[in-house]
Amino acid sequence: MNVGYLCTYTPKELVYAAGFTPVRIFAGDEHISLATAHIQSYACSQARGSFERALKGELDVQAVVFTRCCDTLMRLADIWERNTDMKVYNLEFPSRIDEKSRDYYFRELQDFANTLKEWGGDVTDESLRESLKLYWELEEKLKKLFEVKPDYEAAKKVQEMNVRDAIEFVDSRLKKVEKSGKGPKVLITGSVCPFLEVYKLFEEAGFILKDDICTGTRFFTFNTPLKEIESVEDGLSFLVEKYFNKAPCPTKHFPNDDRFKYILELAEDCDGVVFLLLKFCEPHFYDYPQLKEKLEEMGKKVLLLELEFPISSYEQLRTRIEAFYEVLA
Amino acid sequence: MIVAGIDVGSLTAKCVLLKDGEIVAYKVIKVSPNLEETAEKVFGEVLREAGIDKVDKIVATGYGRNKVSFADRTVTEISCHAKGALFFIPTARTVIDIGGQDSKVISIENGKVAEFVMNDKCAAGTGRFLEVMASALHLKIEELGDIAERAERATKISSTCTVFAESEVISHLASGERVEDIVAGIHEAIASRIAAMARRVKVEPDVVLTGGVAKNKAMKRALERELGMEIKIPAEPQIVGAVGAALFAMS
Repeated sequence: MNVGYLCTYTPKELVYAAGFTPVRIFAGDEHISLATAHIQSYACSQARGSFERALKGELDVQAVVFTRCCDTLMRLADIWERNTDMKVYNLEFPSRIDEKSRDYYFRELQDFANTLKEWGGDVTDESLRESLKLYWELEEKLKKLFEVKPDYEAAKKVQEMNVRDAIEFVDSRLKKVEKSGKGPKVLITGSVCPFLEVYKLFEEAGFILKDDICTGTRFFTFNTPLKEIESVEDGLSFLVEKYFNKAPCPTKHFPNDDRFKYILELAEDCDGVVFLLLKFCEPHFYDYPQLKEKLEEMGKKVLLLELEFPISSYEQLRTRIEAFYEVLA
Repeated sequence: MIVAGIDVGSLTAKCVLLKDGEIVAYKVIKVSPNLEETAEKVFGEVLREAGIDKVDKIVATGYGRNKVSFADRTVTEISCHAKGALFFIPTARTVIDIGGQDSKVISIENGKVAEFVMNDKCAAGTGRFLEVMASALHLKIEELGDIAERAERATKISSTCTVFAESEVISHLASGERVEDIVAGIHEAIASRIAAMARRVKVEPDVVLTGGVAKNKAMKRALERELGMEIKIPAEPQIVGAVGAALFAMS
């Protein structure tokens, strides 16, 4: 069984340990039509576009896990459950990430493991140990690949694959990858962007890329080294650690402003920062004015690109990206 | 040194020839669906007018810039408008360009583009808005500015969308509003859209208005009221981008 998910706070390791294949769901590049009967047009097009594909029968997934990340995805979970034959599970990932929420998240993972069991998948010490190891390996390899040169095609593909195939695929890319050339370095920050043409526009303009994108670097940046586990319980504790220390996103609240610190640190060696934001994405847009101000105080040039999926005009994006290059070059 | 700047926009193509930094000839023509041909045509006409047959360097800009295969290189219209505006008005700090189907605001620091915003998703706040309204009122686009000057008050146009605004204009006519007042309202509607976009960057004087719409005096005044600042208009507002391109060709 394939288990779909939209948010990188989904503990795919547990899904895989239960014998299922976690598959990331992306918006498609066709006009959104069927979904408009269920979700208003001022909801983000990642949510609408993903649901459109579900309604069209394009998704080979039999269950979907939601994580309560943003308002739109929370509501999408209910809509998805009522309007498709897929199983839907709501994992209550805490939005406040601190000491108090650790136990809570641990119990959520226990509940999720029980549900996976009801779905016919059994998480054992052995299967969880194996799964944690495989995902660690995949994440380390992706990190290595991106250090040489960001490969958004590979990042996208591996999210739709079985983790073993994904590791093999990244291996094949690592053999071929060549270091990026010279040019101004830009940090692209935002929610998701599975449309590879966008990254290509940046490369064609002459930029060296670095990203804080949920379908890019945030997919594989966890900051918790692999640990041998003794039991499933032990594994769940490890997952709490791993997901609490993950590259942060604005749907979560941290006691120490971790999200801003993370962005400002990433931006340090960059010449400019591009906010690649999806229209109507509240978590990211609420952060934008303050982040922009802080980045400008650091002397970074900032560009806001507002996207809506499917992307209708790449040439208009190209003009903005090339103009930003001219500003920095 | 003789250089050419070619600006292939959405509605018009402009070409400017500079000889040792001075404008010697320029032309503005309508764009046809074949952008390459349009670029060749406007370039040919300018050469003929100047009585020369070749130039040292050509830079293309505008939406069609990548279709000008005979250009030596391309530069975006953002950089070109900033450079062109500085050529006409060296004290320019903000450039507002209202083109045929997009509009942009560029802030300039130390003679360079510091920040920019563009609107090209929606016809409101562009020359197209004026065209649609002119045709709804059976007026020529060139007349709109003068008609707006004769208004007693500006009719409020609330719809943001161009198509809905057109229906709104028609319903204002039906309810007996004066044409002059409606036309003034149309100018205010555009000015308020542009000002909202401009506020996303720093609007510092001198503010320079470029693009074909800058020829419309009522538009200039509506924008000045909306921004609370004086606006300067270059001698030839429509060729500012092409002049910028030609200046890039010199360097």
